Amino acid sequence: MRNSKFSKSACLAALIGLGFLAISFSIQADDFSEADLKRWNQEFMSVVMAGEKLFHSADLGTNKVSCDQCHPNAANTHPETYPKFQQQIGRVITLSEMVNWCIRNPLEGEPLLLDDPKMVALLSYITYERRSVPLAPGKH
Amino acid sequence: MFCIKGEGKNKDTIIHHYRKGGTTLKTSKSCLKGIIRAGATAVLFAACVAFAAPVGLPPVPVPVDNPMTPEKVKLGDKLFHDTRFSTTGEVSCATCHDTAKGFADGLPVSEGIHKLKGTRNAPTIINSAYLHTQFWDGREPSLESQSAQPFLNPVEMGLKDHEPILKIVRSDPEYSALFSQAFGKTGEQITMTEVKQALGTFERTLISGNSPFDQYYFKGDKTAMSPAAVRGLDVYVNQGRCVSCHRIEQTQALFTDNRFHMIGVSANQMPRDLEELSAAVRNVKEKGTDIAVLSNPRTSSLGRFAVTGDLTDIGAFKTPTLRNIELTAPYMHDGSHKTLEEVVTFYNNGGALNETDTVPELLSGGIRPLNLTDEQQADLVAFLKALTSPEFAPK
Amino acid sequence: MNRRAFLKATGTGLMASAFPISLVKLAFGGQDPSRDFTFGYISDAHIQQIKGTQFVRNWDMGLIRAVREANLLTPRPDFFMFGGDLAQLGKKEELDHGLEIMSNLRGKVRYVIGEHDYYLDLGKYWQDKISPLYYSFDHKGVHFVVLNSILTYHKWTYETWPSPMDRMLAMARLDNPQGSPFMVGDQQIAWLKKDLAKINQNTPVVVFSHSPIQKIFKPWNFWTQDAEKVQALLKPFEKATVIYGHVHQIQYNQIGNITFQAVMATAWPWPYPETYSQSASCLPKITVPMNRADPFFERDATGWQFVDMNSGKTAMHYQLPDNPNRTVIFDAATGKPKDVKYQDYIRRIPPQTHF
Repeated sequence: MRNSKFSKSACLAALIGLGFLAISFSIQADDFSEADLKRWNQEFMSVVMAGEKLFHSADLGTNKVSCDQCHPNAANTHPETYPKFQQQIGRVITLSEMVNWCIRNPLEGEPLLLDDPKMVALLSYITYERRSVPLAPGKH
Repeated sequence: MFCIKGEGKNKDTIIHHYRKGGTTLKTSKSCLKGIIRAGATAVLFAACVAFAAPVGLPPVPVPVDNPMTPEKVKLGDKLFHDTRFSTTGEVSCATCHDTAKGFADGLPVSEGIHKLKGTRNAPTIINSAYLHTQFWDGREPSLESQSAQPFLNPVEMGLKDHEPILKIVRSDPEYSALFSQAFGKTGEQITMTEVKQALGTFERTLISGNSPFDQYYFKGDKTAMSPAAVRGLDVYVNQGRCVSCHRIEQTQALFTDNRFHMIGVSANQMPRDLEELSAAVRNVKEKGTDIAVLSNPRTSSLGRFAVTGDLTDIGAFKTPTLRNIELTAPYMHDGSHKTLEEVVTFYNNGGALNETDTVPELLSGGIRPLNLTDEQQADLVAFLKALTSPEFAPK
Repeated sequence: MNRRAFLKATGTGLMASAFPISLVKLAFGGQDPSRDFTFGYISDAHIQQIKGTQFVRNWDMGLIRAVREANLLTPRPDFFMFGGDLAQLGKKEELDHGLEIMSNLRGKVRYVIGEHDYYLDLGKYWQDKISPLYYSFDHKGVHFVVLNSILTYHKWTYETWPSPMDRMLAMARLDNPQGSPFMVGDQQIAWLKKDLAKINQNTPVVVFSHSPIQKIFKPWNFWTQDAEKVQALLKPFEKATVIYGHVHQIQYNQIGNITFQAVMATAWPWPYPETYSQSASCLPKITVPMNRADPFFERDATGWQFVDMNSGKTAMHYQLPDNPNRTVIFDAATGKPKDVKYQDYIRRIPPQTHF
């Protein structure tokens, strides 16, 4: 009782302090800063460009054939339809497995590990060239 | 296994499915849905008239005009083994499709009356019910229509027409009883239609799955296949490129795409120029496909082309199933490949037994050198041997 | 000999589709049957060297198969055309290997140059060994013109690239953002004007070109920058046709009096420009597209063709090893080309299923 005035203002201060804390927490949790977004987009695009280079490279396989010979601008790769049943592999697969099928077969090369930076780059490029197309998994 | 039409409580017609030898009743839900949606016409029952399938296989398709019954199966079995339907009285269907030999005959090309040689290797009947066409060139669309042809082929049973068969089945007391039970027909009422339907029904019971592969792949039993066979499965689906034609799918594996491909087997038998091609075509036109292709190797080499006349089909043969393949050596349409090892070598070379042979120019675009190591090839063979169903496994 | 008599003579009557037999019989009545004839067309082989004497087997097999099938064409066509892109990077080894395969073809062959043949040495080896770059010839009353329609701006050709191979690689890449549009160029336009002045306007004219002499899709150089100029020169002629390669797919179109027909590649198919979602295209609407190919079957959506000339207009018979063959005729009733199996846009049955 003796401290009630003090404790009231202390409470208030604590409340306000907590309020500030709460507000600053919410800024960090909900919003991306413009700078971060810009930088992350550049990082993504750098991987897209690396993928573009690989996609057009004669050295992904062993016979000098490059992906773009059949897929200019990654056309007709239809990334939006994956996962889907792929008859050439005999089961439902993801896009990366089909990329490996193409590296093995028309390009006569060795398949990539699924988390190989090259694979990530190829997938980034392929899906980037198909941006804004609605998803249609399973579609033939 | 067979099915009988009944009436459900809504007066909708439903199909009761009986397991072979048992009395388990099972109504196919998908049948009901299909009936309700489609308005329950008899024709649409065909799509769902089925019975429980072995592991790794879908339900066997049954034609709507030839439903399965135990009586038909019994009759078909007897007809299948009857050697009286040949000029010498020595050749029956079972001669070339022998139960003990995987329902084939172990010969490169089959031998009929007087041991006359044909030009083609007898395919197994096991699981042939799943095929969309019959014969290596798909010239017959069903088991029923196929069954009537060998009787009339000069190098098979040698009959001039089906009359001798009808004479026997109409007069033989055992057959009379069986036809009566199966079709409710006697005497002159019995025609080749009933004979074919009985044979087709019998053959439709010759299905088998549940191989070590099926246990491993569809049942998740990781111990079902040997380590070599497991590695072989990886070759099959990846570097071996087998799966595109000899299909495995997510929930079933028929091991065939039911299509025709020119893979280069015995390419040296094929017509070498327009003149030889014209001669082979004339042969087909004059004698009819069935007789022409079994009497002349060069005509036989035309494959599917003899049926469709389409240049794309020249030298193309049907993708056979690989189930139980271990039992049915020798291999390919002319039995020219003695062992599975030879077959794998052929594919590894891109359509040639010897690496240095040139491949035919009209080769299917799916066939190309595979660069498999010796170990990969051996593993692939081990995998192929894992496709044998337990009831047929070598002792 | 007309078709029926021929089929009777060879006993192949019941298997009428047995061989790629040219339909010399007129489809819709003509003035002068003796002026009707057939020629074969093989294009876009893209023979590609890996190393030394090793070439990409896939493209080799495509050309080998086309030559083999073309040798079965009965009765024999009057001549063959090769539609350009014999080599992939214009190398002597590639051109030689391609010519070696072509040497098995029974019949006279004339050549159209493609950009993959040209940009390494600017057509020097081609002219020395194979063919002039542009020329014309007459056959049974039809005037044929072969153009070099894959030229481009002077600066891009001569002043941009550090080496000939750099230039070739730049042009070889179809979707190259640093590419340059194809054109015929003023020199050839002037030559063409003089060449066409010598013939009267009733003479059927057929132009063989690698690029489309139309503007279909610039990002992939399905494009001829001065197309209108060439089209203007063809305008006075009653019957004009342009046959072009480069696109590796079935296309056909009608612009005024000119019928356009694309030919297939023996090597590999290209997707239709519509499948690139980031850019608009002007694919001729009347074209019934091919299906998407199954990449397992290396000959899917590849092939060759033969062309019947009926009364000065063309009927193109596509020979596709892994797909049903297609035939595109000139329909005199509508004045446009038409696929005889697959109907026009509104009543169309989808031709094939997709992978």
